[in-house]
This record gives sequence, structure tokens and C-alpha cells, in this order.
Amino acid sequence: MKGKRSLQRTLSLGLTAGVTVLWLLGVLASGMVAQHEMEEVFDSALQETAQRILPLAVTDILSRESDRVQKTAPAMADHDEYLTYLIRDASGTVLLQSHDVDLSVFNERPGNGFYNTATHRLYGTSAVSQTIFIDIAEPLMHRQEAALEAGIALLLPLLLLIPVSLLGVWWTVRFSLRRVVDFSESLEVRGAADLSPVPVDQLPQELEPMAVSINRLLERLRRVLDAERSFTANSAHELRTPLATALAKVQRLKADLSETPSLRKVAEIEASLQGLSRLSQKLLELAKAEGGGVLSETPYNLVPVLETVVSDCEREEPGRLILQRSDAPVNSLLNPDAFAILVRNLIDNALKHGEQGSPVKVALSADGKLAVTNRGTALGPDELAGLRKRFVRSHTQAPGSGIGLAIVDAIVEGAGLHLVLRSPAPEQQDGFQAELNVVVSR
Amino acid sequence: MRVLLVEDTVGLGEAVQEQISADGHAVDWVQTLAFAETSVRTTHYDLILLDLQLPDGFGIDFLKSLRHGGNATPVIILTARDQVSDRIEGLNCGADDYLVKPFDLSELSARVFAVARRYRGNPNPVVSVGELTVNLGDHTVVRNGEPIELTSREWALLDAFLQHPGKLLSRSQLEDRLYEFGAEIESNTIEVYISRLRKKLGRDLVATVRGMGYRLKTHEG
Repeated sequence: MKGKRSLQRTLSLGLTAGVTVLWLLGVLASGMVAQHEMEEVFDSALQETAQRILPLAVTDILSRESDRVQKTAPAMADHDEYLTYLIRDASGTVLLQSHDVDLSVFNERPGNGFYNTATHRLYGTSAVSQTIFIDIAEPLMHRQEAALEAGIALLLPLLLLIPVSLLGVWWTVRFSLRRVVDFSESLEVRGAADLSPVPVDQLPQELEPMAVSINRLLERLRRVLDAERSFTANSAHELRTPLATALAKVQRLKADLSETPSLRKVAEIEASLQGLSRLSQKLLELAKAEGGGVLSETPYNLVPVLETVVSDCEREEPGRLILQRSDAPVNSLLNPDAFAILVRNLIDNALKHGEQGSPVKVALSADGKLAVTNRGTALGPDELAGLRKRFVRSHTQAPGSGIGLAIVDAIVEGAGLHLVLRSPAPEQQDGFQAELNVVVSR
Repeated sequence: MRVLLVEDTVGLGEAVQEQISADGHAVDWVQTLAFAETSVRTTHYDLILLDLQLPDGFGIDFLKSLRHGGNATPVIILTARDQVSDRIEGLNCGADDYLVKPFDLSELSARVFAVARRYRGNPNPVVSVGELTVNLGDHTVVRNGEPIELTSREWALLDAFLQHPGKLLSRSQLEDRLYEFGAEIESNTIEVYISRLRKKLGRDLVATVRGMGYRLKTHEG
């Protein structure tokens, strides 16, 4: 799964980036609207101030008795002036000015209406038949400062919005996808041979058709595998019965013959038929193991199956098997027939290739760990690696088909298990051990 | 023992019948479940050898109905179905043993003997009768260290007596043990074999109960 894009990560980052961009666009639009409105308000205030000051100034100027009267309006209290004004006559002579005025801000001649200089916004109007003029100025810096503060006020929440949005979206996506994650994990942990239906009920509506389609596919696959298994079972029956007949007939013939050359020939035919029976048995087991039906839909206690298989093997090699099994049930989705084939092959291998007459230990612990251990010459790493190949029989003279471990491997792979081969066996100087955990759960 | 063999494959059925007969048992061989049902209704068998896949049904259903009806005759299943789940199902349905085809006839003989021994309630294969030591496993009889050779019919007769020590067995009961359906039996056949047994094993081994049958004299009796 590594290297793939995570839906949760993509959605979290994508949605947060989207929200941020939208917020920025919103801030930009709001800023522009706010600036336009502020310009109108500031202009209105500028105009209103001019129109309020001018009549008062005219009254004051006309009532002067001397030209020496102070031309600067006194300040009521010490303060910074955002608005400064200048009242002049038509020739540009200053009649009255605000106390903090900077004359360089104003044009030489009075203006009319709104106009800008490099640093100020100005408004000019006149009274007394255009003989007294007022120009009022406001620093552009003041307006820019107001716009900047408004912009910052709009942008500041974004610093909080980004992490909150990221966290919120991440949590919402995670919460919404939790069933999808469960679904994905349940698919990930199931073995290749698990064809049970995937759970549909908990999935979001949008993903339900996908699960339904998967279940339809699994159902078809199950039917195909059932047909294949049925074919294998029928083939087994059709193959075993004539073999059984031929073997039985030959054994009866052998019983009827006295010590003659014919008896030796019949014994050879009997041995060939027995070899053919063993080989056909192994090939049928391999077909079953590779057929995919190595998992059951419901758990099964494997302890009685192990006892049955060990009891069968014990008949062939009395006294060689030591069974250590759990008293508690070992429940697993591993198909009991597949488990029986697996155990039988491991025990067969241990009996055949282990030291002749030496004990073979078969242990199944309560946690499902199965170990089959035998004595005998230790194998090298190359030999160990080659054992799983089909028809490879190590350096042994013992009779066998060479596909026992390949059958075990097919079952192990089909059930998603892990087989460990060790030589020498643990706590021994020699021998061989095959170990795996046979518990398969959903 | 009187054995019922239910097997539809002719060649295999013939070979199994020969083997079991050679072991000294009387074998009735049928090829369908219908005949098997008729046979168990009319004859007492000591053992049934049952194939599972038969032309008119499944052997496992026959076994279930047998056990359901209270029939406790030992059953060994002979089948090509090798899955352990089939075996467990068979044993759970009341089978005593399970042999997967192809099998060695010697293995079959050993299983037949083992099941019979289990039903006699005597797991020990060696039985002592007077001076005789009889090994039910390898069909040998020894007296004072000297082996005594018995034919299969003689062995079957001795086996019938050993199954019921001290119990009176009628001539027809003994004929049932020795001969399958349809076998031609001379009127004095049982007397002939009893006479041979007495000659080989001792005159006092089998007592005649006039007009009723024969009884194995036990050590105590």
C-alpha cells in the first residue's frame, strides 16, 4: 500500500486548501468592497466637514476688523489632525487655516470638488459668490491604514481557520471513512483462499454497489471452485476404485501362487500398483491443495482431526509418533480436510526421511502452533530451500513422490499461513522441524 | 464370522470376498443397498463391509438407518472418499472403522479381525482353551508348544465356538457361520468338520448335545 495516495490525506489537504483559497478570495472581495465604502464615507466626511467649516469661517472672516487678526484657528486641545483645512480668497491669499496645517499639501490655487495629490485626498468648495474658498485635506496614509487594519481583521481568523479546518476535515473524513477503512482492512487480512462474502451492511451507500459486485464475483468464484473440487473428488473416486480392484486382484493372485517365478513377478506388479496408488494419492492431494478450497466459512476444531491423522499414521509406523496436543480446542478457518492433508504430509516426510526407527514428535499448542520434528542428518541451507520444489527429494533413498512439501506449501499459501523449515531442529544437534501456526481467523 | 459385503464394483467385490473367505469367514456379497437391507433383515451378521457410493444410494444413509433401528452389527466402511471429514462423519454415524481404497487386503483382514475382537469384548488376541493357546490375530493354534494347522473352514468353526464359549450352538447357526447364501451344504458337513476339529485339537474340545447342537467345553466346564 506504500506509495499510494491516501484518500483521507488528499481530502484533508484538498478541502483545507480549498477553504483557504475561498477565504482569501472572500477577504479580497470584502476588502475591495470595504475600501470602496470607506472611501465614500471618508469623502462624505471630508465634504461635510468643509461645508460645516466654510460658513463659520466666512462669518469669522467677514466680521474681522483688522487684517492682523490671527489667521490660524486655535486648537481646543493638543491633538493630531487627520483633517487640515485652508481658507483662501480667489487670489490664493490665506484667510484662515487649521492649526496643524502643512501648506505644501495644498495647490497654489484653491480647487473645486474632490481631487488627489501624491499624499492627500482633498476637497474644495467656495462661498460668497466664489470669493472665499476652502480646501480640506486628509492624508491618504490615514485611509490606507484603515484599509490595512480592516484587511488584517479579515485575515487574522484565517490563521486559526487553517489548522481548525485541517483538523475538522481530517476528523470528518476519518469518521466518514471508518467503515471503508474497516472494509479495506478486512480485505487486506483475508487469505487468498477466503471466498466468504465481504460485509456490506456497514458500508456507506456510495460504496455498497462495489461490495455487492465483489460478493457476486466471490460467489461465482466459489461455484467454479466447488465444481473443480467436485470434479477432483469424482476423479479421485473413479481413479481409486479401479486401482483398488487391480491391487486386490493381484494380491489374491499372489496368495494363490506357490513359490514360483510367477510369484516374484506378481509381487513386482503389486509393488508397482502400490507405488501408483501413493502417487495418485499425492497428485489428488496437490490438486485439492491448489484448488483453493483450503478455508472453511466457519471455524473448526482441528484437534480431533490431528488425532485422526496421527492415529492413521501410527498404524503404518507403530510406536514412532509422539503426539503433544492442546486439551483446549484449536479453532481455525483452515479447512479440516486441507489441515489433514497438510499434517499427513508433514508426518509422512518426517517418518520417511527421519532417522529410521527414531521418534517423530507432533505438537499442537493451544495457540495453534503446529510443529513436526524428527531426528536425522541435518540439512544445509541450500537443501532446505530446495525442499519445497516439486519432485525434489533431497539426498534421500526413502521412497516418496517428492511433492509432499509442495502440497503443504500450496495449502499454506492458500490459507495465508507461514511455514518455517529448520534444520537442525530446535534443541537438537540434528534433525528437521516444520513449524507453522494453523489458526486462521477472519 | 458371517460377513455382509456391500460393494458394487465386481472385480473388487470378488477379491474381497475371496480374501475374507480365505480368512475363514462366510461372506454374503451384495451390490446394492436394497439387497443389503433385505440381507440384514433376514440374517444375523457379525460384520458388514460397506461401500459408500452405491448405484441406489449412499452407504452412509444405510448405516444411519441401521443404527437408528438399533442394529449394532460392526461396520467397516470401504470407500474411495479419503477426506478426513468423510471419515469423521462415517465414524460419527456409527461405523467402527474406515478403509480408503485402494487398500491392502492384508490390512483389510487385520481391520476385520480387530473390529471382531473389539465386539467380543476381549482385546487380547491370545485365548487359552484347555491345553490350547489360540491366537486370533494370526489364526494359529498351539498345544504344548506344537503348532497345529487348521483349514479355513476348521478355523471358522473354532472361531464360532470361541466367540460363544460354553454356549450351545445349533447346526444351522454353525452353517450360517461357515457358508454364504446359496452355498451347497451337505447334510453332514458340520459333523465332518466337528470330527476334524476333535481329531486335531482333542476329543473333549467340543461336546455334542444330542438333537440340539454343539458346545465348546471351557476350562471350567
